[in-house]
Amino acid sequence: MNQFRYIFPKTKEEILKILEQEKSEACIVAGCSNVLPYIKDKIIPPKLLLDISGIEELNYIKKNEGNLCIGATTTISDLISSKIIREECSVLYQAAEDFADPTVRNRATIGGNLTDASPAADMAIPLLVLDAVLEVESMNGKREIYLKDFFLGPRKTALRDDEMITSIKFKNDPINKQGYFIKLGLRQSMAISVATIALILELEKNKVKDVRIAMGSIAPIPLRLFKTEEFLKSKEINDELLEKAINKVREEVNPISDIRASQEYRRYVSGVLFKRTFEKLTN
Amino acid sequence: MEGYPIELTINGEKICAKAQPEQSLLKFLRENGFTEVKCGCEKGDCGTCTVIMNRKAIKSCITLAMQANGKEILTAKGLEKQALGRKLQESFVKYGAIQCGFCTPGMLMAAKAYLDENPEPNKGEIRNAISGNLCRCTGYKKIVEAIYDVAEENYRVEGDINV
Repeated sequence: MNQFRYIFPKTKEEILKILEQEKSEACIVAGCSNVLPYIKDKIIPPKLLLDISGIEELNYIKKNEGNLCIGATTTISDLISSKIIREECSVLYQAAEDFADPTVRNRATIGGNLTDASPAADMAIPLLVLDAVLEVESMNGKREIYLKDFFLGPRKTALRDDEMITSIKFKNDPINKQGYFIKLGLRQSMAISVATIALILELEKNKVKDVRIAMGSIAPIPLRLFKTEEFLKSKEINDELLEKAINKVREEVNPISDIRASQEYRRYVSGVLFKRTFEKLTN
Repeated sequence: MEGYPIELTINGEKICAKAQPEQSLLKFLRENGFTEVKCGCEKGDCGTCTVIMNRKAIKSCITLAMQANGKEILTAKGLEKQALGRKLQESFVKYGAIQCGFCTPGMLMAAKAYLDENPEPNKGEIRNAISGNLCRCTGYKKIVEAIYDVAEENYRVEGDINV
């Protein structure tokens, strides 16, 4: 096949059937903010463009049995205008506000940002600290993948050819209100990040009860910093602990040099970003 | 070349034409005579191809033409049919918010969509609203002032075409 084709299914069932038949010949598209540049640069060869942007049942933000559930084709603008996200899930709201620019946010979807699996995927970082789980479907049924297990490498995911993300869910915990997110880019808007961080921190009598740290653009995949988290747990907060944790962060990240920043700078600034988020949430 | 027939409304007029499956909305619009939509980076960075689709500002270079099927599109040429659009055009002229002019169609569309939703923004909010639109003459100050002037008047007129 050497020509692109296009199809605009009306139901989720229809998408899954087409995926079953076409497998890797199909390319799911929604916002297209990544796909069209890939087509232009011939990174994507001629395929069937399977447009899921018209599937209403995949566009929602809702609460369900103690979880917050977000449909795969929910746009970044939808997240920003959602009262639930703004009031109950601050870390995701902050990342959505820093995402690209308003016109791209009107098109780009949360499912697309994750499936693209860029090490700089801005939605992945808050969702990693929220312990998000992806609901993934195919004609063979539904399965769940922890977001921390989803990214296998740059642009590589645990999705099979016939599967798609249908929903992203995480526990609607009161602690989610207190997370903090920082995106460091070369400019404020439309920047691919130099480094990003999301932190959720729960304290009990000046001791770290729970901590979740995720960073973007500092490793081949969006990364949860489990080693630094383990180091911090149950420890009493003081300046010495913070200094040690900053060093742990710098040990745990695994950045590369590229046109935006050097490896050395990224490693250094990872510690700085951690310090800023930690101080923000402890002061 | 074969293509898929699509039907959409552009600046209030129904258009039926064929689109290629992988064609961007930008290319489709320009090939059908809407050359006021400018082609810049073609990867979603510069914003000069910004149009309004169903009331939202979008970058037409990173939208498939097929995805505009059944939608309502407003381009810079359609602004003159609208009170707010005309006001923005006049304000850009008054403030000298145009140097080479290449970013202007995109700037106007981003500003129009934003003011429709937020009639009384401050200058910081305006800067944020046009943050996806690059001006390489770096005349941002005058562009922001031009948009702010329109916002200040809070110019709202009934009977705009509904895009």
